[in-house]
Amino acid sequence: MAEYTFRIFRYDPDKDETGRIQEYRFEPEPGWTVLDALNYIKWNLDGSLTYRRACRHGICGSCGMTINGKNGLACETQLKDLGTTVVTIEPLRGFPVIKDLVVDMEPFYDKLYAIKPYLITKTPPPTDKERLQSPEDRKKLDGKYECILCGCCTSSCPTYWADKNFLGPNALLKAARFLFDSRDEGFEDRVNAVDDKHGVWRCHTIFNCVEACPKELNPTQAIVDLRKLMLRGRL
Amino acid sequence: MLEKPPVIKSYRWHLGSIAWILHRITGLLLVFYLLLHIWVIHHITSGPEGFNKVMSVVQKPIFLLLEIGLLGTVLYHAFNGVRIMIVEFADNAAGAHKAIFGAVMAIAIFLFLVGGVPMFMHFLHAVSH
Repeated sequence: MAEYTFRIFRYDPDKDETGRIQEYRFEPEPGWTVLDALNYIKWNLDGSLTYRRACRHGICGSCGMTINGKNGLACETQLKDLGTTVVTIEPLRGFPVIKDLVVDMEPFYDKLYAIKPYLITKTPPPTDKERLQSPEDRKKLDGKYECILCGCCTSSCPTYWADKNFLGPNALLKAARFLFDSRDEGFEDRVNAVDDKHGVWRCHTIFNCVEACPKELNPTQAIVDLRKLMLRGRL
Repeated sequence: MLEKPPVIKSYRWHLGSIAWILHRITGLLLVFYLLLHIWVIHHITSGPEGFNKVMSVVQKPIFLLLEIGLLGTVLYHAFNGVRIMIVEFADNAAGAHKAIFGAVMAIAIFLFLVGGVPMFMHFLHAVSH
């Protein structure tokens, strides 16, 4: 492969007032992902580079970052697919930066907790079997349950950049995952957070979340479905 | 912690975000136009002479050209608005928003040509006289 230039956002809270860009140049091996390149830098060129990673299989959601101006998972982004040998890597925007590419995900999780992301039941479970669901009802959750909480969607959302109280595409997708679950009885518990000016009504259908999602989910569809559900609830 | 990290590079644009920013810009232009329109029309209270005086200004060639821009602004805002309504109210339409954008913009461009070409001819006529 050709020589690549990696322009990486660096910020050390003990030394730096603000962030800066540091460049690394080397020739990656064929088939490398952005995460492979970051590992190469950390292990061979600069051990101080800090980033999150875990599974390298696109399922843990740790390595969400902004790669050449678009959010994605470092482990799923092939260098050859970027179409350039200059790769700019930044931390997920919209969240405070702790160090280098590591951001504080607490604001993201706070939004998730606000919609109570777990099955809420009021009726006692059947004594002889589990809470069953028909295949049709189960199918309604496709495209809603696969989220890996990487934060790429909420971090890409201009509405979230402008309104930090906005629940964001991730929390609203998760809300849809439970509100459209036939076994769930938590509508009343979630409605105040979801049916709010910082909830479903804040979304401006910009579709950045859909472009960013590494699992190819569609949070915008979930949000418009929730809006219809909230309207029916009011009528 | 760095609460406000500097934005090194603008986030990548794509059809959804471009459609949204143009919707915002055309919306603001229409608000500006409506204020101007109401200001011009309110001169009717000053009688025929005062009204004709203002109208003679806004019938100058430059305004005829701007009117073609106004037509484009109205058509974009209206038809992208239709796209947003389809995304909001039709079942499972959000995944097809790009195709819907193509369809509504094809209609908008057709209407722009139908309206804009005669308006441009009118402009050329006004310039040559």
